[in-house]
Amino acid sequence: MTKEEIIKLTNKVFEDAFEIDPEKLTPQAKIFDELGLDSLDIVDLIVALQKQFKVQIREDERVRTIRTLEDVYNFILILKQEEEKK
Amino acid sequence: MGSVSPFGRGVAALTDGIEAGRSAVRKMEGWGQYLGLRSLVGAPAEMKDEKLIPRLNRRSMGRLSIFAVQAAQDAVADAGLDPALATTGRMGCVVGSTTGSAISISQAFETMLPDHDLTKLSSMQFFHCISHTATMNVAQCLKLNGWVMATSAACASAMQAIGAGYDLIRLGRQDVMLCGGAEELHPTVTGSFDVLFATSVKYNDTPEQTPRPFDRDRDGLVCGEGGGILVLEDYEHAVKRGAPILAEILGYHTCSSGDHVSESSRPAMVTCMHEALRAAQLEPSQVDYVNAHATATMQGDKEEAEAIAEVFGAKVPVSSLKGYIGHTLGASAAIELAASFAGIRKGLLYPTLNLQNVSPECQGVGHIMGGALKREARVVVKNSFAFGGISAVLVCRMS
Repeated sequence: MTKEEIIKLTNKVFEDAFEIDPEKLTPQAKIFDELGLDSLDIVDLIVALQKQFKVQIREDERVRTIRTLEDVYNFILILKQEEEKK
Repeated sequence: MGSVSPFGRGVAALTDGIEAGRSAVRKMEGWGQYLGLRSLVGAPAEMKDEKLIPRLNRRSMGRLSIFAVQAAQDAVADAGLDPALATTGRMGCVVGSTTGSAISISQAFETMLPDHDLTKLSSMQFFHCISHTATMNVAQCLKLNGWVMATSAACASAMQAIGAGYDLIRLGRQDVMLCGGAEELHPTVTGSFDVLFATSVKYNDTPEQTPRPFDRDRDGLVCGEGGGILVLEDYEHAVKRGAPILAEILGYHTCSSGDHVSESSRPAMVTCMHEALRAAQLEPSQVDYVNAHATATMQGDKEEAEAIAEVFGAKVPVSSLKGYIGHTLGASAAIELAASFAGIRKGLLYPTLNLQNVSPECQGVGHIMGGALKREARVVVKNSFAFGGISAVLVCRMS
C-alpha cells in the first residue's frame, strides 16, 4: 500500500467518522487542537483505522505518540511495512 | 411542549395528522425475515435535521436520544425559556425510555458476539445503550446543570418522568424541568411484545386499521416511536417571566399492582386514578376528559375501560390516541398529553381512531368516536400503564 493510498483512506475516515471538512485535512493538522477530536474520538479513530486498514492497533503503545495527521499516515505506513515483512 | 412523532416533528404536525383522521401505521419493510415475528406493522417517525445537532453532542445519541433532544429543543423554544436558565442549576430534566437505543443495543451484540471480539466496538456504543441515554443527552446538548434523572418504567416512563419533575418543583428543588420520554421502533421491541401475544397480527396487509383501542375487533398493540417533552415550571417562576402557561398540574400518582408483571390490574388502575384525584383535591365528576392509555390489547383495554367506568362512570369523554400513532411506549404519555393539550386549546377532544364497534367488555365509558368532540375541557386526566404492574396518572387543569 502506497503512502498516497494511506493518505486517501485515512482522510476518508476523518471525513466520514468525524465529519471534518476535507480542506482541513492537511498533514500538519493537529488532531486534538485543530481537528477537534477528543479522548473518546481517539477510541473510535482506532476502531475505524483498524477496519479501514485491517490492522490491530488498540494495544499498540505507538498510538500514544500520535499528534498530527501526518503521524497517523506514518504510523499506518509502518504497520503496513511491518505486515509485509512478516 | 415539543414532540417528534410518527406524524413528524412538532406538536402541530401531530395534531394535523390526528385532525385529518390519518393513521401513521404501516407495514414494516424487512420484518418478514424474522422467524416468529407475527406482527409486521409499526408507526415509524422520520428522522430529520439530526445533523443540526453538533457532532460532539450527536455522537453519543442513538435514534431515541435524537428524538428526545429535538423534542426538548422545541419545548424550550415553545416555552420561551431563556437559554441562560440552563446553567443556573435550577433547571434540569427527567426523560425516560424502556431501554437505551434498541438499534444500538442490537448493533453492539451484532458487532461483539460473532467473534466474541470487543475491539470493534465504538466508544459511543455504551452511551447509546445505557438506560439514561435520553436524559443524559438532553442535559448535555442543552447544557443543563440541574437535576438529571431517567425513569425506566417501560410504557409509563414519560408519565413517571413528568411526575418526578412535578415533585421536584413542588419540593422547591428546581424551577424548571424538561420532562418526558423517547422510544425507537425496532423488530426487537415489537418482538418483545409479540412473544407475549400482545401485538396486532391480523392487520399486516391493512395496517391503517390497527391498533383499534376499545374496539370489538382489536387484536393487540402496534409499536411506534418518537419523543415528547413538556416544560414543567414553578408557577410563580412562570408568571414572573410571563410564560405562556398551558396547564397546571393538580395531582399525580403512581403505584404498583404488586400482583403480576404483565397482566393489567383494574384495582391498581382504579387506586391510581383515585389517588391522583385525591392529590388534586378533585372529585371524578369535576373531570372533563380522560386521555386513556388504551393500547388495543385484549386485556389491557378491558381492564382500563372497567377502571374508568368505575371511577368516572359513562359521562366523562374518553379517548385513546394510539390508533393514530401506535404505542410510542416510553414516550407515549408525553406525546399524547401534548396532543391532548393542543386539541383542547382548539376546543377539540380527539376521537379514538379505529374505534368503530365498542367491544362488549369496554362499554360503560364515554367513548369519543367518529369525529372530534367540540367541547371545552378544563380538567384532564391522563392514564399511563406499563408492564411490571405499573400505573401512573396525572391530573391537570387547563389555563
